Amino acid sequence: MKKNKAMTFGILVAAATIGLTTANLNTAMAGQFDGVTLRVATWGGSWKENMEELIVPKFEAEGGKIEFVTGSPQANFAKLVAARGNAPFDVMEILDAQVADMMELGYLRELDFGLIPNTSNIADFQKSENMVGSWDSQEVICYHVDKFEELGIPRPTTYKDLVRPELAGKISFPDINSGGGLANFGGVVHAAGGDETNVQPGLDLINDMQILKFWSRGGETLAQFQSGDIIASVGNAGWCLRTKKAGVNVTSVHPVIKEGVVGVAKVGWLGVMKSSEVPEAAHWFINEYLSEEFQVLFATKSGLVPINKKAIETIKEDPIAAEMLVLDAEEIAKEQRIDYSKVTISDWTDQWNRSVAQ
Amino acid sequence: MYVRWWLLLIPPFVISFTLVAASQFVFLESSFFKDLGLGRIGDEFVLDNYVQFVTDSFFLRALWVTIKTSGLAALFTLILGFPVAYMIARMRSQWAMILLAGIVISTFITIVIKVYGLIVIFSANGMFNQALLGSGLASRPFSIFGNTSGVVIGLMHFTLGFGVLLLYSIVQTIPKSLEDAAQIHGAKRWRVYYRVIFPLALPGITAMLLMVFNMCMGAFTSAALLGGGRVFTLPVLIQRTVMMDIKYSLGATIAAVLLVSVIAINILSIFLVRRMRAAHLVMV
Repeated sequence: MKKNKAMTFGILVAAATIGLTTANLNTAMAGQFDGVTLRVATWGGSWKENMEELIVPKFEAEGGKIEFVTGSPQANFAKLVAARGNAPFDVMEILDAQVADMMELGYLRELDFGLIPNTSNIADFQKSENMVGSWDSQEVICYHVDKFEELGIPRPTTYKDLVRPELAGKISFPDINSGGGLANFGGVVHAAGGDETNVQPGLDLINDMQILKFWSRGGETLAQFQSGDIIASVGNAGWCLRTKKAGVNVTSVHPVIKEGVVGVAKVGWLGVMKSSEVPEAAHWFINEYLSEEFQVLFATKSGLVPINKKAIETIKEDPIAAEMLVLDAEEIAKEQRIDYSKVTISDWTDQWNRSVAQ
Repeated sequence: MYVRWWLLLIPPFVISFTLVAASQFVFLESSFFKDLGLGRIGDEFVLDNYVQFVTDSFFLRALWVTIKTSGLAALFTLILGFPVAYMIARMRSQWAMILLAGIVISTFITIVIKVYGLIVIFSANGMFNQALLGSGLASRPFSIFGNTSGVVIGLMHFTLGFGVLLLYSIVQTIPKSLEDAAQIHGAKRWRVYYRVIFPLALPGITAMLLMVFNMCMGAFTSAALLGGGRVFTLPVLIQRTVMMDIKYSLGATIAAVLLVSVIAINILSIFLVRRMRAAHLVMV
């Protein structure tokens, strides 16, 4: 009898010990970000939805919560400047055109690459002390295949091919203040024979195109392709891909800029704010952003070119992405990249405004 | 005992003044300092931004576009809104209240939704262009993007409901018996409008036009969405200057010019109407 009691007691103690240990382990594992709210400044719409699909559930499983501050990087940068660096967010999407201003103001924290192991899968030039690359985008001419055939217009290969009377008032182009505005404008400037310090040839070419609308959000192009307002658009290959997936028969052309230069590249970056009180969570977010799984999702759904080398290989198997995007490293190297160190953005904007204003 | 009820107005006045005037003052004050870019301003009191505005044809043109689109929108709101308001005001059936309620509800709809409604109607495949092309009146679709006509339509759409409500209250103050008397004495219908209704409604119409004009001068959404990045009204320019170019003091200057222009145009309009009335140019 005594033996049985002792055995029962022993089993209970063991069970309690195992239970407590397991509970502690669970708490330690699940609660990595217990009570942490991470604020991420990024675009809204499908861009944010990608994060909500893959990254947010993982962060919530760790006990934390992610809030999005949506807007273009320019608008979020304005919020940052207005708050004198006390940003209402912890992580921010940054465009290549903003890098110099960001560094000048010094609002970004030095990154701890030990907390971002996925950076081992990205090229060294896409890592810097305060920022890490997040995606590449390819700026293209997106055109409606059926409508072009109907009108007897050949497939465009350069921006100049959009200067046709049949296309007057049927083209959209990114506004200079939109996310892709500077890159596409720069591409047109180079294609027209100008450069970073002489943009007038590009402005003349844009005026010759007889553009219907200068869009500020890529989603507008999708809606305008659907409504029949436009049959060609200049902008991110991602929006061309999304338009095709929405059922419009469009395809992308990577425009010839000059001999040996085809297509226009734009690069996205991520940085952590100095004012952030949750830098570990911010680093965790960046690591997830750079994961193969997320980069593949981003590429297939939003048409961005992954910077994770493993993801690039995976994405080659997606037929629409393979049609819309250039995924060969040698071809990517031929793309026009704007040298923003030579650009005074306010001068570009000023000349643009005066040229396109009615 | 004399009760000083007006004392109750002091707290709301102080709160309103602090929220509106003080915040505006802080913003507008920066217009008198040099813009150094990236949200930075100089510390020396200068008029450089104002000199830049008044000597630069780009800014002056933006001011003119703003006044022109707002003026046209106010005028078309009157032209379209007055017959509707008149009909409702003179209706004796219960439909009057139902129609009025419909107009009130339409004013609650957010401007973004209203503008997107216009975009759908005026798209290349939309109702308006299908009818236009189908009837042979035009060979290519009419677009409301990237031109001042589209912005005027957008502004008018924004203010029409409000305008009709204002005009309805004006028409209601004009006794129907005056119209009847004029007609009994042989006046034709158009003459009744011209010699009886219009003169009596003129002070109210002036107020309505100015209110709608003021609303349009400050309207951003319609101009931004329909302007297509090509029609730069002052509110659009303020947004681009402050939010995109991050030039606070230049943005504040444009805002100050807009404010002063609106006040000046209002004072001038009231002065002109008074002069006209004094000279019996518009009265019977």
